[in-house]
Amino acid sequence: MGQNYLDNGWISILITLFMVTVVLFNILRAHGVKDLFIRRIAGLNAIDEAVGRATEMGRPVLMVPGLTDTAVNAKTMQAINIFAHVSRIAARFANPILVCCYNASTFTVAQEIIRDVYQEEGLIDRYDVDSVRFISDRQFAFAAGVAGLILREQAAATFFMGEFYAESLILAETANSVGAIQVASSTELTQTPFFIAACDYVLIGDEFYAASAFLTRQPVLVGSLIGQDWCKLAIAWLIVMGVVSNSIQLKGGSSNKVTQAWKEGKVDQLKKPRPFNMGDTTMSRWLNPDPAKDIKIERPKLSPDEMPPKGSGGDN
Amino acid sequence: MAITDPAANKSLGEKLQSVPKPVLYLVLFMLAAIPLFFPVKLPNKPIDASVEMFTNVMALPEGSTVLVESDWTNSTRGESMGEMEALLRILMRKKVKFVVYTIADPQAPQVSRDTIRKIADEEAKAGRYRYKPFEDYLVLGYYPNGEGTASAINNKFVSIVSGKKDWPENSAPRDVSLSPVLKGIKSVADFKYLIVVTASSTTNTVLERITKVPMMFMVTGVMVPETTTYYASGQIKGFCGGVKGVYDLETLMENGLNVEGPNKIVSEKSTEVIPGFPGMQNTGKGMAYYPSLHFALFLLILAVVTGNVGMFLAKRKGA
Amino acid sequence: MELLAQLAPKTFWNAQNGSGELFIKIILGLLVSTGIVVALFKTPNQLRRWVITAVTFFSGLFYVLFWIYPTPINRQPDEAPRNVLEGFSFWLSDAQPVVADLTNIIAAFLIGLGIYSLLRVHLGRIGKQQRDWQFSVVLIAGMVIMVIFGYVDWYMRLDPANAKMAGSGYVGWTFWQFGRDLLFNGLLQNMDAGMFSIVAFYILSAAYRAFRARSVEATILLVTALIVMLSLMGLIEYFWAQGVDGMHLSNNFKLDNVARWLRANVQTPAIRGIDFGVGIGLLSMGVRLWLNLEKTGGSN
Repeated sequence: MGQNYLDNGWISILITLFMVTVVLFNILRAHGVKDLFIRRIAGLNAIDEAVGRATEMGRPVLMVPGLTDTAVNAKTMQAINIFAHVSRIAARFANPILVCCYNASTFTVAQEIIRDVYQEEGLIDRYDVDSVRFISDRQFAFAAGVAGLILREQAAATFFMGEFYAESLILAETANSVGAIQVASSTELTQTPFFIAACDYVLIGDEFYAASAFLTRQPVLVGSLIGQDWCKLAIAWLIVMGVVSNSIQLKGGSSNKVTQAWKEGKVDQLKKPRPFNMGDTTMSRWLNPDPAKDIKIERPKLSPDEMPPKGSGGDN
Repeated sequence: MAITDPAANKSLGEKLQSVPKPVLYLVLFMLAAIPLFFPVKLPNKPIDASVEMFTNVMALPEGSTVLVESDWTNSTRGESMGEMEALLRILMRKKVKFVVYTIADPQAPQVSRDTIRKIADEEAKAGRYRYKPFEDYLVLGYYPNGEGTASAINNKFVSIVSGKKDWPENSAPRDVSLSPVLKGIKSVADFKYLIVVTASSTTNTVLERITKVPMMFMVTGVMVPETTTYYASGQIKGFCGGVKGVYDLETLMENGLNVEGPNKIVSEKSTEVIPGFPGMQNTGKGMAYYPSLHFALFLLILAVVTGNVGMFLAKRKGA
Repeated sequence: MELLAQLAPKTFWNAQNGSGELFIKIILGLLVSTGIVVALFKTPNQLRRWVITAVTFFSGLFYVLFWIYPTPINRQPDEAPRNVLEGFSFWLSDAQPVVADLTNIIAAFLIGLGIYSLLRVHLGRIGKQQRDWQFSVVLIAGMVIMVIFGYVDWYMRLDPANAKMAGSGYVGWTFWQFGRDLLFNGLLQNMDAGMFSIVAFYILSAAYRAFRARSVEATILLVTALIVMLSLMGLIEYFWAQGVDGMHLSNNFKLDNVARWLRANVQTPAIRGIDFGVGIGLLSMGVRLWLNLEKTGGSN
């Protein structure tokens, strides 16, 4: 049974479980501590300014929680959490909002959360059911729809957060052309440069995930953020360990030296421990397990009537 | 009181910083469109990743099978269609069978069928073997749940083909398990490679979940930086990125690798001589769009330099 | 344990395809699920949170176990598990494709929800003759026409007599095939490509506006961007290499070498670093959602 672990890469599971433990530990720890420090994130400080500007101009705030083909995932939930905060401020200022959803499940969740926000503020009469919309689940149809909304409604502040792809620049430039103040964050690193070129404020990388902790200061979120920082330190140490261990194991060794020794007939040299290739080092073997193809496990056989029938599926 | 035109009072620096957008767009349109009518072959040095991908695909033995994940549609046909065409040309000439599936977009299976048919017709017109659907390749179709499908492919490949049907030539749909393409394929490890042709984040989905087969990616130009990290760490065995990547493959197919000649392409990683396909149709969208890429990049550089010169002039005037 | 392992031999949870038993079980399933939904509506608010927590936890638990629990090594289709522990891993492997199918089915129902939202917004706009209601007519008409042509064409192609339609040359094509081709290839695909090509123009205007050497960091960004852009131009690279070829130290300053160095030593490590942070953030968010530690709504 233990041999099965070879196929799973036990060390990566161990590292992940360690990180989860660290995060959960810090969540528990944060409950007893007040005023934990989080550094300033410019894009999030600008939210109040952006919504206030939109209110002065009498133009709506537009929010896009990203494009995801799967049902609601963690990135979309994070975006909707940030938009809930934005909507709270907009509700207090009686500023109209527009939330454009790419996915039907995102639309459902966003609608519920935004309505709850208005209800908590006691301003349910200001809530417009059509402010949260499902535009399209086709990438460029969605981009065209949102670009059209930005131009027609003359949005004064736009928030693009979540998974964005090629349409990121279309949305950002369109918003720029109407003079909107823009705060953006993409979980896809390929799109971050486009947002940086076109938007006023950009949250890079895991600043997006730190946003909800920064805005709400809930102990769970702040503790989780501290746990994430500890995990990053642990990974940094792992990298340093890997560099040191690989440097020691690869020192003075290469397959070229073995070949050279063989050609020169230096048999004594060949009897020494074989110099490592990169794939032979300890760290490489731990982190890149090679599933054993030739291990034969003796298992009992199924009888013919226990054999699974072929399943049925649809046409493509 | 005379109304003064604000534009007339602008200094040279301010004018250089405020070129109207329609002018920029018109110049770009012309510079990108004109080379399409006057194709020209430009010199090119393929990058290591393209060379390694070419080497690996050319080393595939005849009769082997490759799994292709085709996650692109016509919106990225400038890059992805060129990549797919280059890949299909090599696979068809090496007589390697392939199975195509999609996890990104419902349009993608039809787009990939059209591309395969086009290249098959091109090969047949040149007097070579014509690839037949169901006999030589399969298109399994679209799977909506990308993460689950990728896990199922790695875990139990037969479950994702179970019950699927494809169209043999001029015939009604048949169960794909009856196809000779899937003969001997019990798990994903029986494929020689998984090649992902994509313009979206399905590369991450595949990298996270499929571990039993070596992978190569064919991505858009914008995805090259993030794909490079996986190539550098050895998680993928080569990749082709954007129009440059397509032109790299076309150049390699035309000139071969380490082949003596005026256009010799030398690999720093290997001295193996790979002849390529001289005398055959090797160029396509790479050669067609590479000059346009040149002009577009040139205009981009010119625009950036113009803006910065304008900024410095305006600062000097103001200082 | 055959629950979810529909490929297993006949059990209570499955039935022969097309049989009366299957339809009875489907109807029973629908009645039971309707009953569960009604019961959920009637549940007190305090209890609803626990129901949601439990459903979220057990749904997520499957994939957590699937990832953590050792997979059976070199399992053959005709093999049975050696013991209970291995039997559990067999069950996880067999159940995973079925769970993936369940997710697909739920996603398909959610599309219906999206269509409902579209229809509600746009039909309301047409009914009240609000601003730009004509565009709403175009949207609804386009949706309906695409659905009709798509379904008729798909249905016709299932007929073995129409097998030649799938080949090249428009053999056997009727009005429905040409209509679908016009709508799909002629309109939708080209509009998609047109929208994507707009990005090229926007990149130009964004770069012209944003790439200014206003500070040291901006200057470094500008110079490296110029080098990478030049390295993508084969003509420039060729002439640059001619200029530096043959001289030892200068070979390091060939355009492709400089660009390669930038990619390998600056860009790749930076992306890796950001990727680590994003990955850990995603993991942490996932754990909070799974264990229902996340208070959604952004309240202070």
